[in-house]
Amino acid sequence: MTEKLDTQTFQNQENSNWQPPQLDKKEDYFKKQGRRIKKHYRLLPFIVPAALFSLIFSYVPMLGISFAFKDGFNLTRGDVLWNLSHYGWTIRNFLDIFYDESFFRAVGNTFLINILKLVICFPLSILLALQLAELKRQGLAKAILIIVCIPNFLSWVIVIGIWQGFLHPDTGLLGKLLFPDRVVMGEDGLFKFFVVILNIWKGVGWGSIIYYAAITAIDKSYYEAATIDGANKLQKAIKLTIPAIMPTIALMLVLQFSGMMAAGFEQIYTMMQINPELIESQITLDTYLYEISVVNRTNIPFATALGVFNGLIALILMLVGNKITTKTLHRSLW
Amino acid sequence: MEKYQAYLTNEEYIPDFSKKRKNRIKESIVDRSVSVLNVSLLFALVLIVVVPLLSYFSLAFSDPYYNDEITIFPTHFSLKAFQYILVGNQAKLFWKSFANSVIITLVVTFVSNLVEALAAYPLSKPDCPFRGGILLYFIITMLFSAGIIPCYLLMSQMKLLNTIWSVILISISNVGNLLLFKTFFEGISSEIQEAAKIDGASDIQLFFRIVIPMALPVFGSCCFFTIVGMWNSYGAAMMFISSSSTEAHPLAYYIYLLLGKAALDKTDDFVLMGERNIQAAAMLLSIIPILFIYPFVIKYIKGGIQIGSVKG
Repeated sequence: MTEKLDTQTFQNQENSNWQPPQLDKKEDYFKKQGRRIKKHYRLLPFIVPAALFSLIFSYVPMLGISFAFKDGFNLTRGDVLWNLSHYGWTIRNFLDIFYDESFFRAVGNTFLINILKLVICFPLSILLALQLAELKRQGLAKAILIIVCIPNFLSWVIVIGIWQGFLHPDTGLLGKLLFPDRVVMGEDGLFKFFVVILNIWKGVGWGSIIYYAAITAIDKSYYEAATIDGANKLQKAIKLTIPAIMPTIALMLVLQFSGMMAAGFEQIYTMMQINPELIESQITLDTYLYEISVVNRTNIPFATALGVFNGLIALILMLVGNKITTKTLHRSLW
Repeated sequence: MEKYQAYLTNEEYIPDFSKKRKNRIKESIVDRSVSVLNVSLLFALVLIVVVPLLSYFSLAFSDPYYNDEITIFPTHFSLKAFQYILVGNQAKLFWKSFANSVIITLVVTFVSNLVEALAAYPLSKPDCPFRGGILLYFIITMLFSAGIIPCYLLMSQMKLLNTIWSVILISISNVGNLLLFKTFFEGISSEIQEAAKIDGASDIQLFFRIVIPMALPVFGSCCFFTIVGMWNSYGAAMMFISSSSTEAHPLAYYIYLLLGKAALDKTDDFVLMGERNIQAAAMLLSIIPILFIYPFVIKYIKGGIQIGSVKG
């Protein structure tokens, strides 16, 4: 695209018996960029503020990855730069990750929560969109959508507060009815169940909007044809609607997979506060990283190494996800 | 019979389907049961969303002594919980964190979207110099982050720990929005821009007078999502602001601590009895700004705009 435009503008400047320039590639590149700079140099300062913010708050911290390779680095004495020059280099911190029991528990919990979300929350949004599209009066569908989207705009701490209150054994409406003598949200065995329930409550409405929009874009004549052929509503939904919105489903599925390393820090850490024992048993990667790098900052090189490791896996997952969508759906994730 | 009458009076025969159900295509049993099940499930979902909200926020309006009588609506109406938060002993904590949240949200929304839109404008030109390289520079920051400790140490070196500026500065860079702006600007016709240039507009004038007004829908929607995100998030605050430096807490963090019962004055009798009412009241107060921008969501759902759900 860019090449084509360039040649066209070049062509217009020259006269009609124009010949392609016989230049080697390197020279051509610099010439091209030079011409572009000449045309657009006034626009380049526009990029500077955003580039500066990225530089200071994304690239400068990347220099901090070097802490992960320092032996015994800590913050109790001296400032950061003094510290950096005084400790030797090592790769031990990265190897320690694989001997860390909590790390494997965290990975297990994170994956389990993500798989549960994928199996339960993900199809529910699609189901809700199908149901809404099925309604005869679309005004009613939109009214329902407006109501069920409300929880998405509440902070996680409020969502958890509401459900904690709703399930409270003495004063909560549901708690009084079902669990009059226990705090269910603080129980170890039910923790992941409530993580999923709260995720559904908060996100199902908002998650269904994209599928709903995709369904309403389907040509109505397909449905008329299917009706004449004698298909019932169930058959139409399964054999017509779902295949038609498959690209959207696939895209959201890949996005979900790419975020496999995170389980939602704010939600899970806040839910853990109900019963502090959960911080140990229900540990996820985000909360483990938070615990070792903010709450008790005892082994800084290890915490940095784990953070870098986590970031790298997340990066790889994103790149793989992007590869899949560009190959199959012909669109990039970003 | 009707047909015969129509023939007699020489009128055109129009069958009246509303009276005769037989003339309709008969719905199969599957179809009817699907419809019934569908409507009842949707009705149940609306109840599941609405009932916890009503039931919980009834606490805020009720007298703590009668908390166990609440079902869906408040019983024994009382505004004591609000009184405690807004004018009581520890009202300063609430107002301070409210002000912090307002500052954080406004500054981040304004600066972040302005800066990203500015950067997206040159990158939307297909013949922008070093376009691929600059885009890669931005996308890398979106895909990979160094982690908590390096950011924490950077903030501590800049002496920004335990201030709201740490949260503001870390949140400004938003490459997702940059890509969104870039895609939108690419769709603006270049003829209009050329015309403005011939009329003598400088590049900055062109950007603020032509490009931004044309991109107002996408600009508004990015601002909206930044506002909601900044108002509701407290993860960054938990990383850079300690729980003891209450001067710098955003509102969501204040509520997080209130839910953990750390921020309450335990010497007050009313607090001992009604801490749950106080929590509910604080949460309700923090939702009010979200209610003000909810009409935007309604417009968004009715209009069926696709921006925001998927970037690209």
